[in-house]
Amino acid sequence: MIDLHGYGPRLFEGALLTFEVAVLSVILALLLGLVTATAKLSRSRLLHAFATLYTTVIRGVPDLVLMLLLFYGGQIGINAFTDWLYDAFGIDIFININAFVAGTITIGIIFGAYMAETFRGAFLAVDEGQLEAARAYGMNSWKIFKRVHFPQMMRHALPGLGNNWMVLLKTTALVSIIGLADMVKIADEATKAEHAPFLFMLPVAVGYLAIASVSELFFKWLTKRYNVGFGET
Amino acid sequence: MADKAIPLEINDLHKRFGDNPVLKGLSLKAHKGDVITLIGASGSGKSTFLRCMNLLELPDAGEIIVHGDPILFKQTRQGREPANWKQVELIRSRLSMVFQNFNLWAHMTLLQNVVEAPIHVLGISKEEARERGMALLGRVGLAERANYYPAQLSGGQQQRGAIARALAMEPEVMLFDEPTSALDPELVGDVLRVMRELADEGRTMVVVTHEMDFARDVSSQVMYLHQGLVEEAGPPSEVLLNPQSPRLKQFLAPNR
Repeated sequence: MIDLHGYGPRLFEGALLTFEVAVLSVILALLLGLVTATAKLSRSRLLHAFATLYTTVIRGVPDLVLMLLLFYGGQIGINAFTDWLYDAFGIDIFININAFVAGTITIGIIFGAYMAETFRGAFLAVDEGQLEAARAYGMNSWKIFKRVHFPQMMRHALPGLGNNWMVLLKTTALVSIIGLADMVKIADEATKAEHAPFLFMLPVAVGYLAIASVSELFFKWLTKRYNVGFGET
Repeated sequence: MADKAIPLEINDLHKRFGDNPVLKGLSLKAHKGDVITLIGASGSGKSTFLRCMNLLELPDAGEIIVHGDPILFKQTRQGREPANWKQVELIRSRLSMVFQNFNLWAHMTLLQNVVEAPIHVLGISKEEARERGMALLGRVGLAERANYYPAQLSGGQQQRGAIARALAMEPEVMLFDEPTSALDPELVGDVLRVMRELADEGRTMVVVTHEMDFARDVSSQVMYLHQGLVEEAGPPSEVLLNPQSPRLKQFLAPNR
């Protein structure tokens, strides 16, 4: 049996935190991605411009830089806002950016940009005739989206979404630099204290691999579900 | 004045794609039980005309009146747009369309396709929609295919399924956009047979087609379009059997 010098339970907690950050930020990323893709495909030039600005900036700046910018910059911005509230209205509040929230939101925002591109391509891949039939039968735009466009789009989006999820999962390791005790952070502390890098980093690698393998199964199931009717399950 | 007894009336419809005018003032009046066939060479505007009737294409000018209910438009910077999309959706639900490429929803079974709009647009209960859907699939000879997906069916079966989907809306007018053009020749007959039955039972239909036999036997009125205008119109006995314009004579020549 491997002796983790008593770090075992903490590493496990770190793994749970990694998983939590990953799941919450992927939910945010999917929502942002859907909204941004819709904006990019809309006829409104303003929406299109905003969406393009977002995806261009996010995809052009390193994740690490964004993480630091949003964590420290976000705190400075919020402080400025609360100071202004105090000066202008006498409202005295203090909001402290919590590392968990900041990390989750940052990763969500970063991957929202990648999800947007995946969704955009997938929306465009749906056969126009399918949407036309929905329009011709009197569906409003929300029903067309919900009943026809979204379910057919998912078939095209899933490979890309799965890919994005895997990268996102590994990107959660960045939260350790803003002080969050994910499994990388704990393994790093343990390594420094015990001078045994392999002992602690190997379980971390296995931890990521385990989450990745389970999600692979989940994506297989989703792919099967959204391929129904297309005869290539 | 708008007449409630007329299921579909179109007055002076114009449509251009960019600089290219495709419809230059087309009118049509479909009384109850009429079968109006639109014929013409490709590029004559017949499909665009049909697609304007349920606003899949937005006409630039002209009136569309469904059962005395004119579609309301407003002018915007981009051109003319429907004033009220809810009205458009309602009118679309009363004019069901059958497409050249069937356009059955690929992720739904045949039965799901047939009950989809009745449930989600008309608000009919699931049980009732299923019961009626099964009856309609039986009518078009596809009862035992109810749980198949479109990709598992032949073109002719898909098109008959699409007709069942259209019938499930209990439409005032059925619009057919070249319903047999994408089918293998041996599958055309079954689809035409179903369409003849619909005409016989008094359905109001507007049909864009190249099937001259169908136009001759079934329609109450034939309209021959050329470059966005009606060149000749009238009962098939006149238009198809005794054409006046040289162009129509030439168009009909291979069929004689």
